[in-house]
Amino acid sequence: MNWYDFVLRNRGEVIARTAEHIGLVATSMAIALIIGLPLGVALVRRRAVQRWVFGVANVVQTIPSLALFGFLIPVPLIGGVGASTAIVALALYALLPILRNTCTGIEEVDAAVIESARGMGMTPQQVLWQVELPLAAPVLLAGIRLATAISIGITTIAAAIGAGGLGVFIFRGVAMVNNQVILAGAIPAALLAVLADLGLGAVQRRVAAK
Amino acid sequence: MQHGETIVAGSKNFTEQIVLAELFAQQIEAHSALHVERRVNLGGTLLCHDALVAGKIDLYPEYTGTALTAVLKEAPQYDPSVVFHRVQDQYRARFGVEVMRPLGFNNTFAMVVRGDDAAKLHLRTISDIGTFAPKWRAGFGYEFMERPDGYRGWVAAYGLHFSGEPRILDLGLLYRALADRQVDLVAGNSTDGLIAALGMVALEDDRRYFPPYEAVPLVRRAMLDKHPEAGEALAQLTGKISEEEMRRMNYAVDGEHRDPAEVIREFRKAKNF
Repeated sequence: MNWYDFVLRNRGEVIARTAEHIGLVATSMAIALIIGLPLGVALVRRRAVQRWVFGVANVVQTIPSLALFGFLIPVPLIGGVGASTAIVALALYALLPILRNTCTGIEEVDAAVIESARGMGMTPQQVLWQVELPLAAPVLLAGIRLATAISIGITTIAAAIGAGGLGVFIFRGVAMVNNQVILAGAIPAALLAVLADLGLGAVQRRVAAK
Repeated sequence: MQHGETIVAGSKNFTEQIVLAELFAQQIEAHSALHVERRVNLGGTLLCHDALVAGKIDLYPEYTGTALTAVLKEAPQYDPSVVFHRVQDQYRARFGVEVMRPLGFNNTFAMVVRGDDAAKLHLRTISDIGTFAPKWRAGFGYEFMERPDGYRGWVAAYGLHFSGEPRILDLGLLYRALADRQVDLVAGNSTDGLIAALGMVALEDDRRYFPPYEAVPLVRRAMLDKHPEAGEALAQLTGKISEEEMRRMNYAVDGEHRDPAEVIREFRKAKNF
């Protein structure tokens, strides 16, 4: 049996798992953006704090996901067994590229442009919203694009904590000694990553062209 | 004997496998001039099997019941010697892999509950949980859910009904989830050192549902032909490890966080291998 025969025969579950997968990626990315964007803006040109925050985000990135799940199981509210633990872990992993690109994107905006904006009498708020953020948008989007691609890949690990997603096929296939089942999870996940990357790439180009 | 040649010992991704791979490696290094590279923690039966057949690793520890049902995909059988010989014949013919004599212990699935539940509800055997199961959440690994000798047959054999679908978790997270009361029963391995260490209780398989899972070294024939001394070194381990000894070594690593290499050095010294 080929992997696509398996997918066809189990299309109901493949579709449901794909939807779960997209849900996990979307939720964790949304949380990472809600935290990462304002925090990234707040860190602009604050070298000392940046070093600490980036350091912590870097360390989080290196914690193996199974270990992270293990730490999170006993944590009330956000922990336990199921989707919440997976989302917390995935959001933590997505945080670093978003933080970094927000911060560096804004810092790389030409100082002369900011100077002239101030000269025109813009408040710091206006400079941020009307000058810095639009000019940093391509770099910012590159960070979101990278975080999304990574997130779609690592969301397969959510299946290790009972949160579902396409990783279920991968874990099940490994357990059953069945490559077809593994591919039924891995190939849709790879397709999702490619699609998301193409979509965000197009958005990025349009923003850059402005 | 070719001096300094290297062979590769592999293992699956749980403690006992890593400990056994280390035992095989030390045993071969002590009785030959071979150097043994440890490539442990491979993700499960599939990876180890494929790596062995492809010649990427030369040996790894396996369990006869797992080889029969998960790799050969045959129906479970219950006589240990029938299972062993069936697996040995098939591996020889189909994969060019030698299934060596059993090491002495059986690592079966263990249905594990928290110690306080076991005491309060007087649980000793799997049959005892029948009336409580409808109020319980069970947690299992993917392998147990899918194997022919796993979940479906098990609930049928004992007529069990749990509250909702079982939570499916990675093996390494099961005991944490049980200890933290996220689930009420998990399927572990009978030789897991953590069962006793965490004050948990393994229930007796009173209806004899699970087939034998005798631990055996699987070795590539081509490597044995080239280095017969490696086979002789491993043959010395036949029947030498009891379930209790294996459990103690697993606990030394999982519970006391000791280095598997050191645990095995002490074990080999004590057993005079």
